[in-house]
Amino acid sequence: MFFTEWNLTARLKATLRLQLVLASILIACSNTAWASGTAAGTVIDNMATVNFDLGGINNTQNSNTATMTVLERLDVVVTLQSPQVLVSSNETSRSLLFTVTNTGNGDGEFELFIDSTLSGDDFDPLPASPAIYYDTDASGDFTAGDVTYVPAGNDPQLAADESVDMLLVNDMPPALTDAWLGRSQLTATSTAGTGLPGEALIGAGDGGIDAVVGASGGTSAAFGEYLVADVGLSILKSVAVSDPFGGTEPTVGATLTYTVTVEVTNGGTATASVFSDPIPQFSTYVANSISLNGGNLTDGIDVDAGELDTSGQPTVVVRLGDLTLADGIQTIEFQVTID
Amino acid sequence: MKTLTKLTLIATTFLTLTVFAQEQGHLNVRTTVQKEVVTVNESGEAERNLVPADTVVPGDDVVYTITFTNISDETAENIVITNPISKNLTYVQGSAFGPGTVIEFSVDNGKSFAAPEKLLVATDGDTRPARAEDFTHVRWTLQNDLLAGAQGMARFKARLN
Repeated sequence: MFFTEWNLTARLKATLRLQLVLASILIACSNTAWASGTAAGTVIDNMATVNFDLGGINNTQNSNTATMTVLERLDVVVTLQSPQVLVSSNETSRSLLFTVTNTGNGDGEFELFIDSTLSGDDFDPLPASPAIYYDTDASGDFTAGDVTYVPAGNDPQLAADESVDMLLVNDMPPALTDAWLGRSQLTATSTAGTGLPGEALIGAGDGGIDAVVGASGGTSAAFGEYLVADVGLSILKSVAVSDPFGGTEPTVGATLTYTVTVEVTNGGTATASVFSDPIPQFSTYVANSISLNGGNLTDGIDVDAGELDTSGQPTVVVRLGDLTLADGIQTIEFQVTID
Repeated sequence: MKTLTKLTLIATTFLTLTVFAQEQGHLNVRTTVQKEVVTVNESGEAERNLVPADTVVPGDDVVYTITFTNISDETAENIVITNPISKNLTYVQGSAFGPGTVIEFSVDNGKSFAAPEKLLVATDGDTRPARAEDFTHVRWTLQNDLLAGAQGMARFKARLN
């Protein structure tokens, strides 16, 4: 049987070992309604009424009005929305989704910060430039429509209970080890001020009323994780022989039809994968016989996905692009005749 | 903000004048609101203190104290103190206090009063026992007369929504 050397190059080294499909760990985000409470600035009055009899006559006496003004409580919560994001070395622009919620009882404005240098993980993601975006198109990931966050330029302004979706975008460094974790953290801080819970900030509230720092201290942070997932590939090759006499003997003149299936078997991505297979010695390539998933590819170098590369030893080349598990089985076929 | 302060001052002044005029009457009734703060002392025990309600935010507990004094020279009888509970406040169960009083609550804006365990609320054609957040008024009924010159007090705590 004429088997040739074949190889598949990808951004990540192809391996034949089957990896466990890495389950997405959905970070449980509690669906508690963040009831921020009575609006800042609300005035609450209270008056008691006493009814009594005196000298046989019924009387009513009101008290004074005891009044108090509800101050603004400064509170914010940052919640991670993304599960662990599976990444490969050198990948760029991978995003993590967060929600920033004003859990205070007044209008809030918040400044945002990214930190990808956290300890407790295996590698530091590399913040893109810029790194923080509004998820403007609500797609849940980094897409062309997302507006860049500009510190002190377009800080999110949130009413009590209101929230906004933000994206952190990081690139991945080279030479990452499979199963490594990299963390990236989003911090939101109230521009009205921060401090110890219960601390009063004079004049810092809506309309100049005093503000009180809430339990959050006026700041909140949450981190997401990138998980390095080495791509797992399954590559299988078979050959069918058809001899000139209607049989299957590999005689001179017999046609060999090679079928190669390529499949990503786990959560990784085989980036820019290219299948190449030199035509074996003592055989001649059958012109125009390369196909990908049933579609014929021309022999010349043009816009389609494959060709016969004749710059050196004749080699079948088929470009498969970025492959993931979702792309399913890619089937390549080509034919040679035995010299 | 400044305008609000001014309005509050004017309102308070007006009410103070009114109360002063009414003080010529038989009963002097004063009410105060304070914030309750809980601190842990060196022995690890929780201490409750009442401070001015200047910095209240949602979640804080406030205490209303009503003091009534019989400033006439006759005995006052059948004394009933009624206090509405703001919709922004939730009564703290069991906190109503008044020496020598029977304490009842209303869930129908003061039309009727009963002991808390007897109160029912109608929801979607069904009735259920009333909860603290349903209370609209608290009422203290003095069991004894208030002699000339005598004083009584009533108090309750509520949480700011």
